[in-house]
Amino acid sequence: MTGTTVAAAAVRPPLRAYRAYARISARTVLTYRLNFALGLFGLLFQLLALLSIWGVLLRAGNTVGGFSWPQMKAYLLIAYGTNAIASSFGDMRMGFRIREGLVAIDLTKPVDFQRARFAETSGVAVVELATTAGICALVVGLAGPVSGPAPGQTGLFLLSLLPLLPLKFCTVYLAGLACFWTQNTFGVSLTRVAVTNLFSGALVPLALLPGWLQATAGVLPFASITATPAALYLGTATGTEALRLLAVQLAWAVGLWFGCRLIWRVAVRKLTVHGG
Amino acid sequence: MSVTGPPKTPLEPAREPRTDPSDPRFPQRSWAQRLRRTVRLYRRGLGAHLRAVLEYEADFWLLVGAAVLTQLVGLVFLGAIFSRVPHLAGWQFPEVVLIFAMVVIAEGIGSLLFEGTWRLAWKVNQGELDYLLLRPYPVVLQVMHADVGLNGLGNLVTGGALLGWALWRVDVDWTLARVLLGLVLFVSAITIKVSISLATNATSFWTFSPFSIFAFAMHQVGDLARYPLNVYTLGIRAALTGLVPFAFISYFPAGALLGHGQYAWVGWLTPLVAAYCLGVAWLVFRTGLRRYEGAGA
Amino acid sequence: MAQIEVRGLTKVFRRPEKDPGLVGALKHLVTRRFRDTVAVRGLDLDIEAGEAVAYVGPNGAGKSTTVKLLCGILVPTSGQVRVGGLVPHRDRVANARQIGVLFGQRSQLWWDLPVRESLGLLRDIYDLSPQDYRDQLERLDQVLELGDLLPVVARKLSLGQRMRADLAAALLHRPRIVYLDEPTIGLDIAVKDRVRQLLRGLRADGTTLILTTHDLGDIEDVCQRIVIIDGGRALYDGPLQGVKDTFARERRMHVQLADSGPEHAGVLAQLLPEATVLAGEQPGEFVIQFDRFTLPAGRVIAAVTRHTEVVDLRIDEPGIEDVIRRVYSGELSLADAP
Repeated sequence: MTGTTVAAAAVRPPLRAYRAYARISARTVLTYRLNFALGLFGLLFQLLALLSIWGVLLRAGNTVGGFSWPQMKAYLLIAYGTNAIASSFGDMRMGFRIREGLVAIDLTKPVDFQRARFAETSGVAVVELATTAGICALVVGLAGPVSGPAPGQTGLFLLSLLPLLPLKFCTVYLAGLACFWTQNTFGVSLTRVAVTNLFSGALVPLALLPGWLQATAGVLPFASITATPAALYLGTATGTEALRLLAVQLAWAVGLWFGCRLIWRVAVRKLTVHGG
Repeated sequence: MSVTGPPKTPLEPAREPRTDPSDPRFPQRSWAQRLRRTVRLYRRGLGAHLRAVLEYEADFWLLVGAAVLTQLVGLVFLGAIFSRVPHLAGWQFPEVVLIFAMVVIAEGIGSLLFEGTWRLAWKVNQGELDYLLLRPYPVVLQVMHADVGLNGLGNLVTGGALLGWALWRVDVDWTLARVLLGLVLFVSAITIKVSISLATNATSFWTFSPFSIFAFAMHQVGDLARYPLNVYTLGIRAALTGLVPFAFISYFPAGALLGHGQYAWVGWLTPLVAAYCLGVAWLVFRTGLRRYEGAGA
Repeated sequence: MAQIEVRGLTKVFRRPEKDPGLVGALKHLVTRRFRDTVAVRGLDLDIEAGEAVAYVGPNGAGKSTTVKLLCGILVPTSGQVRVGGLVPHRDRVANARQIGVLFGQRSQLWWDLPVRESLGLLRDIYDLSPQDYRDQLERLDQVLELGDLLPVVARKLSLGQRMRADLAAALLHRPRIVYLDEPTIGLDIAVKDRVRQLLRGLRADGTTLILTTHDLGDIEDVCQRIVIIDGGRALYDGPLQGVKDTFARERRMHVQLADSGPEHAGVLAQLLPEATVLAGEQPGEFVIQFDRFTLPAGRVIAAVTRHTEVVDLRIDEPGIEDVIRRVYSGELSLADAP
């Protein structure tokens, strides 16, 4: 009797378990609306500042670095949206759980830790997506017309949005994993935000960075978060270049996913052998 | 038998208590001695918490480094813009860096010396102010020195370096008067930053949340003051000047020092704004504390 | 003039009464409804210097509120409080120098600092000379055994350790008046004994003690005066012995007789008509209940031993707990005291 049930338990847990995680995290975020809104505040005010600055520089009709005002508005909205996804302090929460030793409880649950965290992130991402749509509408309404997608690029752009969630999740998750080796969750989170801000092109389009920074960004995964979707949308990358960027994006998403699993195994070994 | 004894006679009105100069409850000190004691005890509290932070947060270098990195990224942004355009809304690169540096330094000093302010909401929520009321030292200072944020060190160093560079590069006639007035403006700006932080956190006396949500939101608003005020629309400019005077931390003092912009003269009002903010913060805190004493935890 | 004088002290808490959620909050802005809770009701009290007073009452009786009012961290709704001639909530800083306070449920130690650092900070805040500080610490160390605690971060202390450290913190500046709100709550008997030893020492020094507690063992060990409060009102204020003499007069003597026959019950009942005789649990064991003022214990023992051989005997007196319990439950009304 026990043989069959044990064997059944060894099989992967059903999708329903992960859907539950997604549902719970979405509901938690909606309950603690205020904290969620605050988390986005930082990004929102950054958007406001950037719109104001670029507005002053571009409103007269000139271009900077090849960006016109409607194009820059589109770029900033894409930057905002791609950064807002999975941004709700996932690493801080994980760091907190690690520090308080609560991870031990998570380890006893019959679900894969990484997939469960991903499910939670996905749940919240739905809410983040909804608020992003609202912000975009607001900006278009107040700041004027925004560039539409470059001709023929819509499909490519939408394709580039697909790896966005796992990619963004992995960067946050990696930062969370770092908390197995350091107590300073705030320091880790701050570093992640700064690095992502810079190398994804969120703060300033990569094309405007000095050469050596652009080169560094080229070998890091962050560019695939903002710069790639933006380039496809605005048509600065077309044809084979566009396909190359998509491939790089996909490669990073997959690579990071499995890289995370590897680091997780090391972290768990450290936890169970040496204690929390 | 009366269980509680005979009815008591009413008390005489309380006399002015300072009748006996040898009463140890009223130590005879000059105001200078009192001020020295207040500052000394504040430093002691900070020092004790700094030691705790350095020991416990073993990876505080990570925190300091992260803060430096964050500000450098902001600097990269400014650098990238100014590599393409000669000026931003009429402000040159060193001048914009000056404004940016002021916000960073103010942030640094706030985190380093007054971080405890952010724990006020938790203390109010948990009723932990009771003991503070029972010590012969101002409650507000006990609250403020209760923590040290080492990211402030990173901000202070970065901001200081940027400020130094900017002051060296800007086109200003440095007379002694100007230098002295610059120092006054600097101290005023820091005062405004700390006052806003205290006042917004003191609203926790009226909310029942253990988190400083309102204060944190206002803090994010302050990020807008990193850039010259005239890039923003009128509404935002008015808010940052009159409502929550973040602009007086960076923009207006810089404008006054550089003699830049049509509102340069407004910058010389910064010390007045600082006094005003300090007064408001003190009033809000004191009223909140009274409310705490009236309502209990 | 007593050291602590309280006249007509009243504290009313006004809490907004609103429906839950956003709708409730908005409604409350329009029609403000409040609920008044009277925590302390017209309290009159005089405490002389050096007295040790116990404050007893059921949960919610207003004990903690009274202590907070006396300390000055709560402002009274009406009435007057004078402590050492000062008005506590008005002369806050001066009052702070003459009192020491311990709230049993909360610690005053700085959470992330070692105990030694917390005590050092307090030394500076209270302007103690290094000599005074060392002397007092040594004195406290003898009873509380602080040595092991000093380097430990407060967060990591066990409850018993934390209480000892908090007591040291409260007494560091040798206050004349000490308020202790539930100082032994949750402690094991070993630590409780230490705390009570300390309190007795304070009494010997002439320190005024005000102690609120649910643990009536604390009272018997330390205080001579007890104030029983309920519903914010003082129901009894007088010597501890008075309460026991008035309401805890009953004694129960358990005797174990050599001969375990049941007929002894009837014989004993006849010999001691003022007592009640019951059968005990074991064969040959009997329980004799009597009022110690109408029937001295000696007479009971003499009567029993004259009648038959006694193998073992013990006398139970009801603790003050029984009295208090019966007062709380309304069984005993103090107003009906003979």
